[in-house]
Amino acid sequence: MGTSFELYLYAPNRERASQLFEAAFDEIERVEEALSNYRSTSELSRINANAANAPVVTDPEVFALLERAFVYSRESDGPFDVTVGKLMKAWGFFRGAGHYPSSDELARAREQTGWQRVKLDQRTRSVLFLARGIELDLGGIGKGYALDCVARVLREAGVTAALISSGSSSIYAIGAPPGKAGWPVRVSDPLDRTHTLSTILLKDQSLSTSGNYEKFFQLNGRTYCHIMDPRTGRPVEGMLQTSVIAPEATDSDALSTAIFVMGPEHSARLLDSIAGTSAIFVTDKNGVGRVVRVRWPNQAATSEQMVKTGSR
Amino acid sequence: MNRRSFVKAISAGTLGTAVLARGVEQVFGREKHPVAPSDQVRLGIIGPGSRGQELMRHFLRVPGVKITGLCDIYEPRFAAARKITGEETPIYRDHRRLLEARDLDAIVVATPLSLHAQHVIASLQSGRHVYGEKSLGLTLGDCNKIVAAVRQAGKHFQVGHQYRYAPWIHEVIERVGKGEIGRVSHIYGYWHRNGSWRRPVPDPKFERLINWRLYKEYSGGLMAELGSHQIDFANWFFGAMPESVTGSGGIDSYHDGRETDDNVQVTFRYPGGRSFTFSSLTDNAKAGAATWIYGKDGSVEVTMEDAIFYYEPKRAGSPVSEVMERGVSTGATYSTKGEMPYRGPGSPVKIPEGTGGNPNQLACKSFIESLRNNARPFADERVGWESGVSVCIANQAIAAGHRITFADHVKT
Repeated sequence: MGTSFELYLYAPNRERASQLFEAAFDEIERVEEALSNYRSTSELSRINANAANAPVVTDPEVFALLERAFVYSRESDGPFDVTVGKLMKAWGFFRGAGHYPSSDELARAREQTGWQRVKLDQRTRSVLFLARGIELDLGGIGKGYALDCVARVLREAGVTAALISSGSSSIYAIGAPPGKAGWPVRVSDPLDRTHTLSTILLKDQSLSTSGNYEKFFQLNGRTYCHIMDPRTGRPVEGMLQTSVIAPEATDSDALSTAIFVMGPEHSARLLDSIAGTSAIFVTDKNGVGRVVRVRWPNQAATSEQMVKTGSR
Repeated sequence: MNRRSFVKAISAGTLGTAVLARGVEQVFGREKHPVAPSDQVRLGIIGPGSRGQELMRHFLRVPGVKITGLCDIYEPRFAAARKITGEETPIYRDHRRLLEARDLDAIVVATPLSLHAQHVIASLQSGRHVYGEKSLGLTLGDCNKIVAAVRQAGKHFQVGHQYRYAPWIHEVIERVGKGEIGRVSHIYGYWHRNGSWRRPVPDPKFERLINWRLYKEYSGGLMAELGSHQIDFANWFFGAMPESVTGSGGIDSYHDGRETDDNVQVTFRYPGGRSFTFSSLTDNAKAGAATWIYGKDGSVEVTMEDAIFYYEPKRAGSPVSEVMERGVSTGATYSTKGEMPYRGPGSPVKIPEGTGGNPNQLACKSFIESLRNNARPFADERVGWESGVSVCIANQAIAAGHRITFADHVKT
C-alpha cells in the first residue's frame, strides 16, 4: 500500500508504549505483506500474477476482504472498483506526471478494468480473472482495513485510548483521551487546507477523506484528479472532497472513494447500507461550490450550503 | 534459470544421491499415497501464535488444505486462529489429545524452541508428517533426537527454513557456482532491527509464555530466531557445516530482565578457508536484513525478496606505481576512491514469470506437494540439523567467549 502510518496512544509508561508501537507496526507489516501491490512477495501480487491463468486459492482473511470490496462494487453499481488500477495507469497516475490517454489507450485500459471480470468462488475460496490484464489494487480499502487490524491488536493488548492514521486518507480512534469525549479531528477545507471545514470528535470510529488535491494534473485549464469513475473510464470531475465517518475504517475508506465518484445525489442508498455512517461532500460546479452534509455530527440530518470556489 | 531447471534444482537437492533415493524407498516402502486419497491434506497446528498463524495463512492458500485441529495452552490463541480458518476448528489444550484425533495427515509445530523436540517427536510417533519451525531444537541433544525420530518414523519432515524455496536464491547459487563472481571465500549476513523484541503482555503472569524468546530456558535468542536462516544459507552455499565458531554478544540496550542477548556477532570458519560472519542488532535498523556473498570478481546481495549482483571494478593494467627506498614509501599514491564501496544499481536477478512469490508460501506449498507426491522435502531434517546444531554451538561460543570446534561436539 506504500503509505505512512502514525499512531498516538495513552500508555502507563514509555516502555509499554514502545511495545505497543512494535505490536501495531508488526500488524501493519503483516497486512502490507498480504495486500500490497508494490511488493512482489505479497499475497495480492501472487493473485495478480496467476488469477488470469487459473483460479487462485487464497486464505479466508484475504478472500473475505476481496468479497467485502466486491460488495461495495455491487452496492455502488460500479463506482467503487478494485480493478481500476489500469485506468489510473492510462491516465499517468502511477508515474506521477499525468497523461491524457489516446482513445486506443483508454479502450485497452477499459478492457482490463471491471469488477465483473473477476470471479470469486466462495466454495473453493478462489479468485479467477475472466480477462487478461486485470489487476487488483486494494488502495481504496486496504489502508482502512490495516487500521481496523491495528485497532484490534491494540484493543486485545488492553489499549483504551489511541489514534491511528494511514497517510492523510484515514484515521481511526480507539476510545477517547482520558477525561475527554473523543479525539478531536479536523476536516480541512479542500479550497484552503489551512481552513477548517468541520471539527468532529471521533470515538471508536473512523474518518476517511478522499480529495482531488492529493494527486492531480491540469491540462488546458481542466483539473484531472486521480480518482477514476470506472463507468466512464475518466477522472471524476466536479467533486473536490468527500469525508465519511463510520464505525470501521475499512468501510469509511471504501465509502469515501465510492461517494466521491457517485456524488451527493446518488450516494444515499450506499451510505444507508452501513449503520452509523455520516458524510460530507464538497462539490465544485462551474466555480460554485456546495457543501452537503449527510447525518454529519452537530448538523441537521442533511444540510447544504453554498460556498464560493475558484481555481486552485 | 527457466522453470524446468528450477524444478531440477529442487529435485537435485531432493533426490540427488543414490543413498538418499534409496533411503526414501526404504522409508516409504510401498506407501504411494501418504495423504488421504481425496488429496485433501488435513493439518493440525501445535502453537498457533504469531508465527503459527502466519504459517496457517500460507497453508490455507494451498488448494485442498484444511486445518482440522488447533492446539495451544494460551486461551486467546484459539479465537485468533479460528478467525484465520474462518470456521469453528476443533481446539485442544494438550498436544497428546490433538494427536489422538483421526482426521489429521500432518502437524505444523510452531511452539517455542524448547518445545520443538517434544512436539515434533510426539507428532512423528503418532504417524503424522511434520512441518517443524526452525531452529530445529534448543540443544544438541534435541536436534539429534528429532533427526532420529524422523528416520525411525519414516514420515516426511520439513524444517521452517523457507528461504530454501526462494527461486532467486536458487538462481544465485547456480550462477555463483558457475563462477560468475569468482572464488567466494566470505559471506556476511546481518539482521538488524530497531526494537526491543518484547511483546505486550496483558497480564504479568503471561510474560514468559508470550516473551519466551527473551528467556534461555525456552530460546536460543537472536542466533536461533534470526541467524539460523542465514546460517542455513551459508551451509547450503558452502555445501558444508562450519568447522569452528567464535562469537560475542551482550545485553547492552534493553536491561529489562531478559536473558538472551540483544546483540550478537559471530564468525563461523568453513573448510577450505571460507567464513561466514553474522551480526544481529536490535537498536539500529539502518542495514536491515541481507546476506552478502563476496567473491573475487563480484558480490551478490541476497534479501528476503530478491537478489542483486555487483561486479568489482576492472583493475588497471598495471599496479599502482610505488617506489620503496630503504623501507620508506616515497612515491606511493593512495586513492580513497578505491576504498569506498562501489555503488551503482547492480544487476537484479531475474526469475521466470510465475515462479516468484513469498518464500513462506512457496515452502508451505512445497511441503503439501511433498506429501501428495511422497517426495522428500528439500529442507529436510538434515538441513534442519545442520543449521540447528550450528546455532547451538554458536551460542556456546558466545557464552564461553572463545573459539569452539564443531568436531569436539558433533559428528558431521
